[in-house]
Amino acid sequence: MSRLASATETPREVQQPVLEAPRWSCSLGGALTTGLGIYGVVPILHSGAGCGLGHQFGMTYASGENAGGALGGTGTPCSCLVEEHVIFGGESKLRNLIKSTIELVKGDLFAVVSGCVPSLIGDDTNAIVREFDGKASVIHIKAPGFAGTSYDGYELFFEAVTDQFLQARPVEKKTINILGVVPFQHLFWKGTLPVLKATFAKLGVDANILFTEFGGVENLRRLPSAELNLVLSPWNGHRAAGKLEEKFGTPWYAYPAVPVGPKQTTRLVREVAKRLSLDQALVDRVIAHEEHHAYRFAEYFGDGLILGLPHAYFAVVADTPTAIGVTQYLTNEIAYIPDIVILADNPPEAARPAIVHELTDGIDVANKPEIVFEADSHKIRQKLKNRNFLFLLASSLEKITAGEEYGAMHHSIAFPSYDRLVLDRTYAGYRGGLALAEELTSKWVGPL
Amino acid sequence: MSSEKECPPIDLSTKTCPNREQRANGVNVFFGKASELVAKARNGTLCNRERQFQQSSGCVLNFYLTVRIPTIRDAAVVFHAPVGCSSSALGYRELYRGIPPALGRPEKFDLQWITTNLSETDVVHGASGKLATAIKEAEQRYHPKAIFLLTSCTAGIIGEDLEGTVAEVQPEVKARVVPVHCEGVRSRLVQTGYDAFWHGVLKYLVRKPTKKQHDLVNVASMLSYTWQDRLEIKRLLGKLGLRVNFVPEFASVEDLEQLSEAAVTAPLCPTYTDYLSRGLQQGYGVPFFLYPSPMGIENTDGWLREIAKRTGKEKEVEDLIREEHAVWVPKMKKVRDEFLSLKGDGTPLSVLGALGQGRLLAQTPYFHELGLKPVAAIAQDFDNLVLEETEQLVREHGDFPILINTFQAAEQAHLTHTLDPDLTLTCPFQGTAYKRKKGMTRIHALRGDALPTSMQSGYAGAIACGEFLLRSWKAKSFQQTMAEKTDDPYHPWWYQQPNPHHYVPEEPVRNVSGGTP
Repeated sequence: MSRLASATETPREVQQPVLEAPRWSCSLGGALTTGLGIYGVVPILHSGAGCGLGHQFGMTYASGENAGGALGGTGTPCSCLVEEHVIFGGESKLRNLIKSTIELVKGDLFAVVSGCVPSLIGDDTNAIVREFDGKASVIHIKAPGFAGTSYDGYELFFEAVTDQFLQARPVEKKTINILGVVPFQHLFWKGTLPVLKATFAKLGVDANILFTEFGGVENLRRLPSAELNLVLSPWNGHRAAGKLEEKFGTPWYAYPAVPVGPKQTTRLVREVAKRLSLDQALVDRVIAHEEHHAYRFAEYFGDGLILGLPHAYFAVVADTPTAIGVTQYLTNEIAYIPDIVILADNPPEAARPAIVHELTDGIDVANKPEIVFEADSHKIRQKLKNRNFLFLLASSLEKITAGEEYGAMHHSIAFPSYDRLVLDRTYAGYRGGLALAEELTSKWVGPL
Repeated sequence: MSSEKECPPIDLSTKTCPNREQRANGVNVFFGKASELVAKARNGTLCNRERQFQQSSGCVLNFYLTVRIPTIRDAAVVFHAPVGCSSSALGYRELYRGIPPALGRPEKFDLQWITTNLSETDVVHGASGKLATAIKEAEQRYHPKAIFLLTSCTAGIIGEDLEGTVAEVQPEVKARVVPVHCEGVRSRLVQTGYDAFWHGVLKYLVRKPTKKQHDLVNVASMLSYTWQDRLEIKRLLGKLGLRVNFVPEFASVEDLEQLSEAAVTAPLCPTYTDYLSRGLQQGYGVPFFLYPSPMGIENTDGWLREIAKRTGKEKEVEDLIREEHAVWVPKMKKVRDEFLSLKGDGTPLSVLGALGQGRLLAQTPYFHELGLKPVAAIAQDFDNLVLEETEQLVREHGDFPILINTFQAAEQAHLTHTLDPDLTLTCPFQGTAYKRKKGMTRIHALRGDALPTSMQSGYAGAIACGEFLLRSWKAKSFQQTMAEKTDDPYHPWWYQQPNPHHYVPEEPVRNVSGGTP
């Protein structure tokens, strides 16, 4: 997979159609939840009072019934703007809020995320934030909800960190940053990142995963010292990586998915090994060992699969990096047959040919799936009618209709998923395919 | 109930209701004795103040309306908003699906909403065309009986003419279009959202009565009342030969239209129901009462009697109460005895509870029935609608400290830490306050919960909830382990100073309007 630089050059789509239940939130939501995923960051909302609590229902609960934690939900400091601020300005409220938050809340980096209201009323949020220079680390992410999605919010967070917080550092060999796994939007972010870090550690590569680790702000500081930025999506994280390249000259490589199971993980490892000039013998040894073990375990589900339900048609509705990883695993490793793949995250036009390539040329099956880019949940529902699939791997939005309308077994693998708790679980990495096989087989397996 | 002069008549000729701040002097900031609170409310010195430290707590749109209005079964919702304002509604298809059809949930139903997904271009050029498109799209896709338009901060600030668009589009669509002015910035009080919703219902949906339904009781139920609460209420009123018209959650549009034909409007939460109740009385002569709510045995007796008074069931209700007492009072005694035995010296456990101001009123007497001693109360907000009842509460049960705030996690953690009650009733909206050595459990379950153990209403609910609270005393490992092993988000000085309102200055906020956008 070559770098998809063109994806970052597409102008933002100005046309935002009316939609039923798109599977994302606004840029404020994305910047807020990105901050929540980095331990040590204290998000401060400069917005209406509902913008934090709303995202507890709309993003953290939606991401495998996760609580927002001590700084999410009702814990997020917020200027709670009302009419008088619309008239008189919200700047003094924000100034007091930042000051009191620094006094009261433990944290290493305070990230002011401003929403629709301050943008509409013309608050000079930057000026207020700069008043704290020298007193504490405070950055401003301008993220009005009308100007972008939660996926944009992730990029805006890293752009702000790069512009306002990072300083150049010497490059450390064999260190990489992993970008493009958007917290909460990618359902398994908390499991995926540590698993891949552990895999790279076996290769002697120190992967900075930013999220899920104490000392998250030090992780941010280390961003410029990477030899390579690894982006695990055909479109997410590209702006962030582009920004780091522009500022620190760090090269970046985009793998098109969150890799699921041995084949994809080996492909990823080889791509990274090539770019970091890793010791070939070590790489071969690690790959052989990991694959050997993963496939020894795959033998355990062979009977259940072959006697129980082989060659099943399946459908996928998910964000692109999840959809590609899961579709390739089920097709290329356990010989299931993809009927339709719906990419529900509205990737930029420029990224779409490469996505289609992964879901056609990238899969080992006689008939290729129908590939649909669709974000409207009503249209997705209609599109899934009258098809062959037995399994529907999707969000929990499809939970009810899967049985009633499509006669299919449903499994939640993508945002939003309110019907399962997701903590450490991931399908990523060498053994991640086993987890997916366990869950899927458990949907129907009985005495053989 | 609070007198008429404290509560101006409902004016449906306006686009929306006044804010709670203006309608009933609502506030969401106070810490002190309940007696001071009511004295200040009486002498007009109770006012909102601007927190210097504040946490996200829900807005007029995004506390209740976003999640609840899309559950009206044959309606659709259009959010006239940027995409983030409706994200909390993403669970819409699954809500209520956990209830088995055997318990009375319809087999098939569809809930739906659309967002106008406002963009930067819309903000610059206006989005009434897009709103019209969304309404027509909803009509064409879902064939709903009503379409609720829920507005947002952005739609309000850019000056979208909702009524203009509705007037233009209504002739083209069969569904009744109901604009609801719930711009987040319009009010500090989430309860303004309830009033704004009822305003739309009263103005656009409730029909002129075609017949009077003398056995129909309107019950407006909130998210904190579960399916089992409905069943218990249905059971009790059913024994009186009455039918229940539950609105708005999981109701049909017909249920909302026929509100005018009912014999009485009864509350589960008084201030949630207030605007609707007054509107129905004013417009259609439907009598109402706001106190008590059916929580606890005594409250349930009172609630049933208030309904009976207005439905000619005074005699039947006494038989019902007698019958029910024979079953439930001995069970309540058992629960009470067990609570009073827990400390070993016969003294009651201290409890910190409450959530909305309605719960504040209902819960305190119920705690006393259970043999629990409330040490303080927390309420989301406070307004004159419950002033007399709060005065009565103080007279009957004594003075108590009260913290008025809308889900301020740091303030609630502070108060819980300072008072250190034996049992705290919390919810995820109270941040880290659940992490502690002593007892903790949830304050209530939610709408779609079909477990009998989650019930709180009526007689069965009084016992079920008591038993539930007893269970919480038997196991405390989660809150204790989390208190010991996880980081507290606040610096230690927070807990070492005495005032949960450390960041609340004395001067009042400026009031800028009557709430009409």
